[in-house]
Amino acid sequence: MNVKKIFLNIAKGTVYLILIGWAIIALMPLYWMFTTALQLPDEVFSMPPRFIPTVVKKFFPLLLEGKREEAIFLLTESLRSIRVLFTDIGLPRWFLNSVIVSVTATLGILVFDSMAGYVFAKKQFPGRDFLFWLMISTMMIPGQVTLVPMFILIGKLGLKNSLGAVIFPPLAMVFGVFLMRQFMKTIPSELIEAAKIDGASEFSIYWRVILPLSKPALATLGILTFMAVWNSFLWPLIVLNKDYLYTLPVGLKTLQDKNLVDYGLLMSGASIAAIPMIIVFLFFQKYFVKGLTLGSLKG
Amino acid sequence: MVIKNGSLLKDIYKHKLDYFFILPKFILFIIFIALPVVWAFFIAFQEYGIFETIWVGLTNFRDVLTGDLFWIALWNTFRYTLVVVPSQVIIALILASLINPLNRKAQIFFRGAYYLPTVTSVVVISMIWRWMYNSKGLINYLLSLLNIDAVNWLGSSTWALPAIILMSILTPPGVGVILYLASMGSIPESLYEAARIDGAGPITSWFKITLPLVKPTTLYLAILGTIGSFQVFAQVLLLTDGGPGYATTTLVHLIYNSAFRDFEFGFASAQAIVLFGIVLFFSFIQVKFLSSDVEY
Amino acid sequence: MKKTGLMLMGLALILTMLTPSVLAWEGKITIWDAPRWRNEEGDQFHWIKSRIAKFEELHPGVEIELVEVPWAELGEKLNIAIAGRDWPDIAPVDISGGTVKLKHLEQGVIESLDSYFTEEELADFFPAALDAYSYNGHLYGIPTSMTVHSLMLNLDIFEERGVEPPENGRWTWDEFIEKMKKLTFDRDGDGEIDVYGFSTYILKGYYEAWPFLMMDGARPLSKDNQEYTFDSPEAISALEKLASLKFEYKVSPMEMGGADVGGTFQAFANPEQRTVAVEPWASWAIATLRNSEKYKTNFMVAEYPIGESGEPITIGGSGGFVVFRQRDKGKAEVVGEFAKFLSDTEQQYIFAVEYGTFPARKSAQEMDPFKDNPQMKRAAEMLKYAITVPRHPNWPQIDERIQAQLQLVLNGEKSAEEALKDAGRQVERFLK
Repeated sequence: MNVKKIFLNIAKGTVYLILIGWAIIALMPLYWMFTTALQLPDEVFSMPPRFIPTVVKKFFPLLLEGKREEAIFLLTESLRSIRVLFTDIGLPRWFLNSVIVSVTATLGILVFDSMAGYVFAKKQFPGRDFLFWLMISTMMIPGQVTLVPMFILIGKLGLKNSLGAVIFPPLAMVFGVFLMRQFMKTIPSELIEAAKIDGASEFSIYWRVILPLSKPALATLGILTFMAVWNSFLWPLIVLNKDYLYTLPVGLKTLQDKNLVDYGLLMSGASIAAIPMIIVFLFFQKYFVKGLTLGSLKG
Repeated sequence: MVIKNGSLLKDIYKHKLDYFFILPKFILFIIFIALPVVWAFFIAFQEYGIFETIWVGLTNFRDVLTGDLFWIALWNTFRYTLVVVPSQVIIALILASLINPLNRKAQIFFRGAYYLPTVTSVVVISMIWRWMYNSKGLINYLLSLLNIDAVNWLGSSTWALPAIILMSILTPPGVGVILYLASMGSIPESLYEAARIDGAGPITSWFKITLPLVKPTTLYLAILGTIGSFQVFAQVLLLTDGGPGYATTTLVHLIYNSAFRDFEFGFASAQAIVLFGIVLFFSFIQVKFLSSDVEY
Repeated sequence: MKKTGLMLMGLALILTMLTPSVLAWEGKITIWDAPRWRNEEGDQFHWIKSRIAKFEELHPGVEIELVEVPWAELGEKLNIAIAGRDWPDIAPVDISGGTVKLKHLEQGVIESLDSYFTEEELADFFPAALDAYSYNGHLYGIPTSMTVHSLMLNLDIFEERGVEPPENGRWTWDEFIEKMKKLTFDRDGDGEIDVYGFSTYILKGYYEAWPFLMMDGARPLSKDNQEYTFDSPEAISALEKLASLKFEYKVSPMEMGGADVGGTFQAFANPEQRTVAVEPWASWAIATLRNSEKYKTNFMVAEYPIGESGEPITIGGSGGFVVFRQRDKGKAEVVGEFAKFLSDTEQQYIFAVEYGTFPARKSAQEMDPFKDNPQMKRAAEMLKYAITVPRHPNWPQIDERIQAQLQLVLNGEKSAEEALKDAGRQVERFLK
C-alpha cells in the first residue's frame, strides 16, 4: 500500500514539475521583456544577463538606508526609455489611437451583431438562412484575399489615413453574428411571446429582454473583439501612413525599424503595449474561456 | 407564379423590421467583405496601373506558378505548418490531460498561465523573441551554459526558419489547452469508472476514452491551426523580413511584398487566391482524414 | 498729397508685377522629408522646417505641410502613397535607387522638370549628378548632393594594435588582408576574439559591400543592361575574396553579411561597442562620426582595396528632390520654385558642411565646404572612381535576388560560384 502511495506522489510531483516547467517557458518571454525594460541602459547587454534589474534589487534597500536621492536617481535612470517613449516618440498618441479604434469597433460590433444575431436566432423571414450562411461562409476566406481590393476601396471611400480605415473593416467581421445567434437560440421564446402580449415593441423586446439576457455572450464577444482589434497588425500597417495615426502594433514596428538594437527602448514600448491586454485578461479570464469554447461549437 | 411573387413581396414587407435589424451589419458585410472578395477575383486578372488598368487574362496566375518565389514561399510555409500545427496540438493535448485531474484552483492557474502570452500582440511577442535570439541574447547565453557555441539564429538560412518555428511552438498553445479542458470536462465520469471496473489503468483509459472523445476538438484545432499557419506573417516580418535570402519567406509575406512593396496588385491577388485554394484543400483533407471514424 | 499717394500705389503695383517671387497660386503644398543632421535640441528636421518658414514668408498664401518620414520607411511609404494616388508634392528621392520605380516615371507619376531650368542654370550642376536624375532624356528631379561609399577606419583600434593605416587611404587587397589580421584580437583576454578587422552587411537596396565585388573588374549587368554578368570569373573571385575575410582569415564577426544595418553601425561607432576596426559606409557616416555627440570617432576614410582591376572602384549615388505629378499649372510652378529653393547653392553648401554629402552644384563646390574636413576631402577624391548601380526598370527585383544569394555566401551556406550562377538563373526573366 505504502509503495503505491509513494508512487502516486511521485507521479503527482512529476505532473506538477512538467506543468510548472512549461509555465516558466510560457511566461519567460514576458518576464524578459519587463526585465529588459527596467534595466539601466548599460545593463541590457551585460554578460551574464541580469535576471533581476538593478532598480528592483536596489531601490528599496537604498530607500531604507535613507539614500533617497540615490534611489530616485536610479529609478529615473531605469525609466529613461519610458520617458523617451512618452516625450520624444509619439507613444501616448499611439496608445490613444489604439484605445479609440478598439473601443469604437467593439461597441459597433456589439450593437450590430446582437441586432443581427437576434433576428437570425429568433425570427422567421424569407431568405433568413440564405443570408446567414452567405455571411458565415466568408469566414473561411483568408484575409489576404481582400487586402488589395480593400486598400483600393479605402482610398476611394476617402478613408485613407484616418482612423476610420481601421475601424470600419473589423465592424464587418461575421464571427460575432454567429456567436450571438448561437447564444440567443438558447433564450426561451416564451419570454419574447410574453413581452409581446404585454404590448412591447420589437425594439423594446430587443433592448429590454434580449440584451439583458445576453450579457455573458456580449461580454465574451466584446472582449474577443477588443483583443483582436487591439492586436491587429497587417491591415493598420498598410493603411496608416502617418505617425500620429499609428496604433500601438504599427508604432512598435516602426520603432523597431528605427532603433534596431536599442532593446531597452523596444522592450519598454512592447511592455506598454502588452500591459492593457494582460490586465483585461486577468480580470475577465472566464469570458475569454467562454468565448473560445462557444466559438468552437459547430453551427 | 405572379401570385407567388406577390406573396413573397408581401412576406418580405411584413418582416421589414427584421430586415431592418440585419441591415447595418449586412451593409458593412457587403461593403467590406463581399465586395472586396469579388473584386479580388477581378484584380487577379488585371495588371493594375496607377492611371489605367488592363486585362491580362491568366497571365498573373501563370507568373505566380512559374515564378521562383512562390514555390520557395510555399515550401517554407508548408514546413512551418507541418512542424508547428502537430506540435501545438500534441503539446496542448498533453498539458490539458495533465491539468484536467487537478483541483479547480490549479486548473485556473495553469490555464491562465498558458493563455496569458497569447493575449499580447504577436508584434510584442516577436519583438521579445528577436531580442532573445540576438547573438548576445538570452538564448545564446542559456546555450553557453550548456557549452554550446553561439548560434546566429536569425541571420543564417539554416536556423532562421527553425527559430521562427520554435517561437511559434513555445508561444504556448493556450487556446488548445482551454478547448481540450472544456472538451475533457464534458466526458462523463461514469465512462472512466466503467473502464476502471474492467481493469483498465489510467493510460489505457486515456487512449480508449479521452483521446477518441476529444477528437472533434483535435480536428477543430488542426484546421484552425493550419489556416493560421498558412497565414503566418507578423513573426516573419518582424524577426527576419523573409531573409536571409528567401529562407523565411512565407506565402503571406510574399503577398505583402508583391502588393505593398512591389505594388503588383494583380500578381498579389493571384497569389492570395492560390493561397485560398491551398488552405481550402488542406482543410478538406483534414476533415476527411480526421473525422472518418468519429460519428456521434 | 492725393497724387503722390496714387503714384506710390502705381509704383507698388508695377513693383509687384516685376517681382518674380510673386506667384499667382495660393494653397497648400505637402512635402515629405527624412531626418537630417541634428541641431542643438536634437531635432533632425530643423533644416527643412526653417526652409519652409522662409519660403512661406516669401510667398504669402502658400502653406507647406511637412510629413516626417524616417529613411528606412520612405520607399515603402512613398510606394503605398503612389499606389493610392495620394502622393506628396515633393519628396527626397534618388530615382536611381529603388525608392521610386522607373515604371512610375514612365507612367508620369513624377513631373519632368525640363521646363523649370534654363540651360545656364543646368550648367551649374555636375553632369554626373544630372545623369542620376535623368531618364530617357528628361530631367526628373533636382540633385542636391552626391554621395560615395568609402571605408571608415577606427584609428584608435589601429593605434591600439600598432597597425599603420594605409598611406593616403590607398591599399591593395593583400595589404588590406594583412592589416585586418592584425586588427582582429582578444581585447579582454578571455580567450575569445572580441575585436574584428572588418564587417559589413547585405541588404536589398544597399551597396556598401558591392565595391568589393567589383574590385576585380566585374559588373552586375552588361553595359546595355541586357545581360547578367555577375557570374563572370572576376565576380566569382571577388566574392570569394570577400567571403574569405569571414571564413578563411576569420577577420570578420559572425554577423558580417547579415541584414542588420543598425547593428553593424553600432558595432563600429557606438562607444560602448567599438568592436570593428573597418567598415564601409556611404559618406553620410563621415558627418555622423565627426559631428554626432554619441558617435564621435577618431577615424579616417580610405578607399576600397584595389583588386585585379587595378582601380579603387566604389559606388556612388546622389540625393535630391523630385516633384510629383501636378494637376494645377499654377501650383506646379510654386512647387517647382520650392524645389529649386531647397537646392540652391547655399543649401548645397550647408549640406556639404553639415550632412556629409558632396555638392551637386559647381558653385557650391567652389565655396570649398571641406576646407576643415580632411575625411570629406579624401572621400571627394574617390568620386572619380565611383560607378552607379545599373538603371534597369526591373532593378529592384534583380537586386533583391542577387543580394539574397550574397547573404547565403557570406553565411557560408553556398559557394560564390554556385550563388552567382543561381542568381543569374533567377534574374533571367527580369532582363528580357
